[in-house]
Amino acid sequence: MKSISSLLLLPLVLAAKPPQERLAELAQKNNGVIPLDATTFELITGPKRTWSASIQLTAMDPRRRCGPCKEFDPSWKTVAEAWSTVPAKHRDTHFFGTLDFDNAQAVFQKLNLATAPVVMIYPATEGPRQLASGKTGPSKYEFSQGFDPLPLAQHLNSHTPVPIPFKAPIDWNKYATIAFGFLAFATFLRYAQPVLQSRFTWGIITVISIVVFTSGFMFNRIRNTPWAGPKGASVAAGFQTQYAQETQMVGMIYGTLAASFAMLIFVTPYTKSSSRQRVQVYIWNAVIIIVYSILVSLFKIKNKAYPFKLFL
Amino acid sequence: MSTAYALPKDLSRATVVNTASLIRIVALSLISGAAIASRLFAVINFESIIHEFDPWFNYRATRVLASKGFYEFWNWFDPTAWYPLGRVVGGTIYPGLMATSGVIYNVLHYFNLPVDIRNICVLLAPGFSALTAWATYMFTKELKDESAGLLAAAFIGIVPGYISRSVAGSYDNEAIAIFLLMFTFYLWIKALKAGSAFFGTCAAVFYFYMVAAWGGYAFITNMIPVHAMVLILMGRYSSRLYVAYSSWYAVGTLSSMQVPFVGFQPVRTSEHMAALGVFGLLQIIAFAQLVRSHVSSKQFNNLLFYGVIVLGVGGVGAVVGLTYAGWIAPWTGRFYSLWDTGYAKKYIPIIASVSEHQPTAWPSFFMDLQLLVFLFPAGVVLCFKELRDEHVFVIIYAIVASYFAGVMVRLMLTLTPCVCVASAIALSTLMDTYIDPVQPEADEDETAQSDAGDSVSGSSATGSISGAAPKKAKKLAAAAVAAPPSANPLAELVGAATGGPRMKKGVWGFDTRFTVLLHTFGMLAFFVMHCTYVTSSAYSSPSVVLASTSPDGSPHIIDDFREAYYWLRQNTKEDAVVMSWWDYGYQIAGMADRPTLVDNNTWNNTHIATVGKAMSSSEEVAYPILRAHDVDYVLVIFGGLLGYSGDDINKFLWMIRIAQGVWPEEVQEANYFTPGGEYRVDERASKIMKESLMYKMSYYRFTELYGANPAQDRVRQQTIPKPSPTLDYLDEAFTSENWIVRIYQVKKEDHLGRDIKSANAFEGGKKRKRGRPAVGRRRAMQ
Repeated sequence: MKSISSLLLLPLVLAAKPPQERLAELAQKNNGVIPLDATTFELITGPKRTWSASIQLTAMDPRRRCGPCKEFDPSWKTVAEAWSTVPAKHRDTHFFGTLDFDNAQAVFQKLNLATAPVVMIYPATEGPRQLASGKTGPSKYEFSQGFDPLPLAQHLNSHTPVPIPFKAPIDWNKYATIAFGFLAFATFLRYAQPVLQSRFTWGIITVISIVVFTSGFMFNRIRNTPWAGPKGASVAAGFQTQYAQETQMVGMIYGTLAASFAMLIFVTPYTKSSSRQRVQVYIWNAVIIIVYSILVSLFKIKNKAYPFKLFL
Repeated sequence: MSTAYALPKDLSRATVVNTASLIRIVALSLISGAAIASRLFAVINFESIIHEFDPWFNYRATRVLASKGFYEFWNWFDPTAWYPLGRVVGGTIYPGLMATSGVIYNVLHYFNLPVDIRNICVLLAPGFSALTAWATYMFTKELKDESAGLLAAAFIGIVPGYISRSVAGSYDNEAIAIFLLMFTFYLWIKALKAGSAFFGTCAAVFYFYMVAAWGGYAFITNMIPVHAMVLILMGRYSSRLYVAYSSWYAVGTLSSMQVPFVGFQPVRTSEHMAALGVFGLLQIIAFAQLVRSHVSSKQFNNLLFYGVIVLGVGGVGAVVGLTYAGWIAPWTGRFYSLWDTGYAKKYIPIIASVSEHQPTAWPSFFMDLQLLVFLFPAGVVLCFKELRDEHVFVIIYAIVASYFAGVMVRLMLTLTPCVCVASAIALSTLMDTYIDPVQPEADEDETAQSDAGDSVSGSSATGSISGAAPKKAKKLAAAAVAAPPSANPLAELVGAATGGPRMKKGVWGFDTRFTVLLHTFGMLAFFVMHCTYVTSSAYSSPSVVLASTSPDGSPHIIDDFREAYYWLRQNTKEDAVVMSWWDYGYQIAGMADRPTLVDNNTWNNTHIATVGKAMSSSEEVAYPILRAHDVDYVLVIFGGLLGYSGDDINKFLWMIRIAQGVWPEEVQEANYFTPGGEYRVDERASKIMKESLMYKMSYYRFTELYGANPAQDRVRQQTIPKPSPTLDYLDEAFTSENWIVRIYQVKKEDHLGRDIKSANAFEGGKKRKRGRPAVGRRRAMQ
């Protein structure tokens, strides 16, 4: 109820005082972030502004199903809150605003925006804070470093009169986890010493990590590749790309092949009966041939020009 | 003792041994021949030419060394690179490669063999690959035996993962570095095995050579300490380790500091701290061991124990403290980005922009290693089975290198030797097991039959008595075989290779042996075919000269790069400055012999960003930058006509990103995309994209080529809008046959003081609008 009445009163209030003071008031009331609609958006981005403004255009309504918006919103609020702690002299020359899609669809249309969230930064057009380059048009903040508050604050620093006093909050959770993990590890060491001293454990760890690394796992980590392609495609077309699923397939193939060779070396010669040994030899040979053929045909999908194939 | 197949009986021991060593020598020389020959595809298909980018600089430096002598080379200041800054070449390179070629050149000329320096440079990498095969043989021999060594040498000789960096003409540091890497590791293993200060010092000398040759020496600098550290943690400290490590570290570090580019880094950067730390730790441990051997009191021993811990912790604390105080430089971005994989993209886009710094997708692993990629884990398992000190080394090497190879395509090269060694161990163990003609005596099947038939005979008599007995029976049988000197030296030799006649294991029958061996040989044959195919098709292109096939199937050579560079060389003034993206800096310097703004030695980010800004801005913005840097010609690579995908428009986003890193206000990546976030060059391209210098230079007059038809960019499969962009501040000077290289001349200021745009308009017959004097005019009047 309160918000509705204040919205209704807004035009009246706006008429009474100079806009900068009003914006400052609104900002203070709302923890540093001015909730905008079409009218106040026009006000804050008005052509004769002596202030600069950074505006988050978002869609927080659950119906809009904007996951990134929800992810980014807290960062926005913390940075704005940090800004509201600087002395009024500087604080009131840069404003933070949030415009929700459902409050002002026209603005989104006007700005030609099809995605959210977007952060627009409007420099001052008049007065002492005008840019040296004379640029008055807005600039966009790229989320090239994710939705974290720290890069956002660092980027905005170049647009605010003084740097935003934002400090990344100390992540007690993380430190507690590390400390706990360390303790747990120490206790684990005490009891698991025989396991840790066994070459068997280390052998398994080593071989698994080798297979994981050589099947392109780090590529997935670095590129954030999707599990599968559009329409459930399991193999990415192209030699320099892959889906996460492929890595697992290839890892399994390598594992199977390596295991078959290890069996031929370690287990088969130690078999005590000649007939069982013979069966083993043929089985492992067959496994190697079949799985290797699968691997080669998989590679042929990736590299169309590859001229060789085995039995598949 | 029964054998699966008949062996010749009348051979003396000496004959067998001599034949075996002759076969080894013949095999090694054949392997060397194969290694060299398979790297010559590039010379045969194209010509004896230096490849790619960096080799052109190395070649140019080598020419200076060969013609002017070592001191001149050492003090070489190159004023034409990084114009106008220049580059102190002698102090900013690893001189090992050039020095090697220089020595070979001088030796050959001393013997009156007038070989051209270019041919030495072209053929250096294949030559050293033969040495690498030999070093790998020696290394693997220490781990298992000669036969595994030969297999490993054969693998490393032809495996594409190594060929990719060492074909003829690929005159880069890696060409000799892999040999040095393997040989240093071999000497280290040898030193560790024998506790020999001599081999430790030899390792240090080759380490020095490696430091002088390749920036990747940091891999050795960290591998050896990690190996030593793991051995200590495993409780395998020994005086052998102490002697080997101390002699390697002391001599190696002091000598490595003689390379000017390295200087005091070994004591002042974090990359080298592991080696220093382990050195200190070894001294402490050795001291404690010494004191303990002279003191008996238990309390004192305890005191010593805690004293060592305190000293160790204090040492680590000191290193950390010095790092914070700024005495020790923290990890450099290049190395740090190997751990924090997002780091480079965020902070050093130049490193992230290089294609060989991208992470490795699985097809690359398979392409480069083929069957070795899955023999490799099996070999590592075998190392765990033996687990002598040198096997620990291979295990650490395997795990570290496979991580690195996954993070960066380029580091596949360091993984390859380890893969070859481990796979050779696996495959040679497999073949040892199945070639061995000796059949085990006690077969459970037969025993069971003999039980049923109640016909007790010979050694199986005890076997039928109790369940635990068969083992004993086999031991007896083994002892029986081992005891009398075998009548057959060949069988003995094979038996020795498999680690003595332990009759616990063995294979029955001929068919099983035959199947496994046939299968193995089949796979090896496939491997050879794969390597040949990959080498000839993928890794032998010089990238300076491109190959294509005409519609009738005949090969056709595309020689646009050299055409353009020679045009520059012959038609421009000698001091004409050429601006291009940094990829082509070394080539322009090497082939056109003209000053460049930036080149592949990416030491000055701001300078590169300046070029990026000029390329990505509009003509009006770019022109003052070009003039301020005295640029006479601008060179762009354009593949749209031919479908050459490595052109500048595809690299353009990196130029923008790098420029944005320095001028975030003026260049913004998002402005070059369509509103929908696509990177396009057709009529939907953003205005800023279409006005950028790069776009204009690439597509200038492109549509005229097609007449009335739509102009199709064959790389991006998009239609270029008409009319073509116009250029006011640049003149088209040269376009190569297939339009790959386009060169533009930068116009000088107008003689009448007009700004060039209005001067152009005047020339074009357009009337200047009244009341709006051109900017240049107004400035001139002030």
